Amino acid sequence: MTVSRSRPRLRPEIGYIARVADPVVSLSGVSKRFGGVEALRTVDLDIRAGEIFALLGPNGAGKTTLIGIVAGLLRATEGTARVLGRDVVSDYRFTRRAVGLVPQEINFDPFFTVEETLHIQAGYFGVRLREERLDEILDALDLRSKRRANTRALSGGMKRRLLIGKALVHEPPVLFLDEPTAGVDVQLRQSLWSYVRALRARGTTIVLTTHYLDEAEELADRVGVINRGQLLLVEDKEALLRRYAGKTLRVALAEPAASLPGPLAALGGRLEDGGLTVAVTTGPGGSFGPALAAVAAAGLPVKDVETARMRLEDIFVSLLRGERPGEGAAR
Amino acid sequence: MIGLGARTLFVKELRRFLRVPGQTLLSPLITTTLYFVVFGWSLGGRLREVEGVPYARYIVPGLVTLGVVSNAFLNTASSLFVMKLQGTVVDILVSPLSYAEVLGAFVLAAVARGMLVGGVMWLVAAAFSGFGIAHPLHALALLVLVAVAFAALGFMTAVWATSFEQVNFFPTFIITPLTFLGGVFYSARMLPPALRTFTFLNPVFYMVDGVRYGMLGISDASPLAGLAILLVLCAASLGGAYAMLRTGYRLRG
Repeated sequence: MTVSRSRPRLRPEIGYIARVADPVVSLSGVSKRFGGVEALRTVDLDIRAGEIFALLGPNGAGKTTLIGIVAGLLRATEGTARVLGRDVVSDYRFTRRAVGLVPQEINFDPFFTVEETLHIQAGYFGVRLREERLDEILDALDLRSKRRANTRALSGGMKRRLLIGKALVHEPPVLFLDEPTAGVDVQLRQSLWSYVRALRARGTTIVLTTHYLDEAEELADRVGVINRGQLLLVEDKEALLRRYAGKTLRVALAEPAASLPGPLAALGGRLEDGGLTVAVTTGPGGSFGPALAAVAAAGLPVKDVETARMRLEDIFVSLLRGERPGEGAAR
Repeated sequence: MIGLGARTLFVKELRRFLRVPGQTLLSPLITTTLYFVVFGWSLGGRLREVEGVPYARYIVPGLVTLGVVSNAFLNTASSLFVMKLQGTVVDILVSPLSYAEVLGAFVLAAVARGMLVGGVMWLVAAAFSGFGIAHPLHALALLVLVAVAFAALGFMTAVWATSFEQVNFFPTFIITPLTFLGGVFYSARMLPPALRTFTFLNPVFYMVDGVRYGMLGISDASPLAGLAILLVLCAASLGGAYAMLRTGYRLRG
C-alpha cells in the first residue's frame, strides 16, 4: 500500500486548532454499564496528537466500548469524553467530523459498489469525494481494480480495507482502528501496518485496539493495558519495555546437570528442560557476567548460550495476573 | 437548506428500493391488481353501487391507502432493521448527521416509495374505474400524511426490534387488521350498529374515509376527522422516533 506524503487537508469547519501538547482525545472518569455489567470503570485517558496509541486487553476487556464512546456508537454512563477539546455528546457534529472509525465487525451494504460506498460515506460527513481523493484511497488500499465491484463480491480482506477507506473519506485527524488485523493473513497484516505508519507520518493520530501483542510492539508509540473495564497502565512503549523488560540468559548443556551449583542458585538461576538448560533472569540493566563466570567455574558442559529480551507479551501477561511486570514473567 | 449529509442518506435510501423494483414496486402492484380484480369485479358484480358509487370505484381510495401505509412502513422498517443486522448502521451513527436529518431522510424516502406505489396503484385502478378525483389536494395531503406517519412508525419499529419477527409484528397484527376493518372494502353504514361503533374507534377508518372523500367526494365521517387524526399520529410518531434517536435507545448501547 502506498500513501501520498501530503499533509491531510483539515477542513475549515473542523477548525483544528489544538496545540501539539493538547490531548486530541481525552476521557475523564468514563464509566459504562450494560445492565449490571460494568464494561468500563472510571477511565481517565489522554491521547496525544500524532501518536499511535495501542489499547491492549483480552476479549471483553472494554476496548471496543471505550472507542465506541469516543466515536459516538455508545453513550457513557458517567464521565466525559472529548475530541479536540469538544464534548462528544453535546458537540457531536464537531467531534464526529474529527474522528474516523474502522469497526471490528466487517459490514457492507450489498446494494452498492465500492466507489458508491465511499461516495455515500463521504456524503454523510458533508464531503463531496473528489475523483483524485477517491483514486488515492483506492490505490492506497489496493482496491482500484474493484472500484465498480459490488461490495458483496469482495473478499474478507478487501471488505476490511474498504472499511478503512470509509473511515478515511472525510480525512479525520483521529483514526480509531478496532482490531484491524483480526482474522487477516500475514501479507495483508504487514501492508495494513505500513499504511498505518504512513497515515501517522501524515499527521493522523491513531488509536488501535488489539489483542495481538506483536502488533502493539510493532506499531505503537504508547500502550494502554485494559482489563475488566479498568485501565491498568498507560506508558510509552519503549520506556515500558526498558523499565520492565529484564533479560533471561539460557545456557544449554551437553549433558543434564543433576543439581544447580550453589553460586548460580544464589544468582536466582534455575534448571529447565530436565537439567539441560540453566536459566538466569536479571532485572533491567543487569549483567550476566557473574552468572557466566559461575557457569565456567562450575565446569558445566556448555553447548550453547542465548539471551532473550522480555517481550510486551510477557509484561502484558504479568499485568493481567496482577503481578508487577518483571517478577517471574520470564520463566 | 438541506445539507449534503441528509441528501446523501435520502438518495441512498431511494436507490436502495429502486434497485429492487420487483420487490418494492412490482409486488405491491400485483397484490393491488389482484385485490381489484377479485373484490372490485367479482363482488362489484353483486354489489353494484355503494353510496351511489360503483363498487369497483368505491374500493380504490382504500386500496391506495393500504398500499401507501404498508410501503411507507416497510421501507423504513426493513431498511433500518437490515442496517442494524448487517452493521452498516454504524456508518450513520458515527457520522455528524443530526437526529432530525437522519429521521427526515429515512421518512422522506419512505414517503417517496409509498407515494410511488400508491400513485401506480391508483393509475392501474383508474384504468379500470375512471380517473376523476373530487378533491385532489385533500386526497394528496392525506396520503402524504399517512405515508409520513407510517414511515415514522416503521422507523420506531426497526429501532425497537431485535428480530425479523418483531419487525413483522406491527404490520401483521396491527396495521393489516386495522386497515381491513377500516372500511377499505365497505361503507361503515352497511355494518350492523355494534360493528359500526367498533369501526368508528379505528383510526385507520378515518384515514381511508378522508382519502375517499378526497378521491370520490363521499365519506362516512367528517372529512376533517382523518386530517386531524393523521396530524396527531404524525406528531406522535415523528416525536417518538426523534426521541429514540436523541436518547440513543437501542442504537447507542
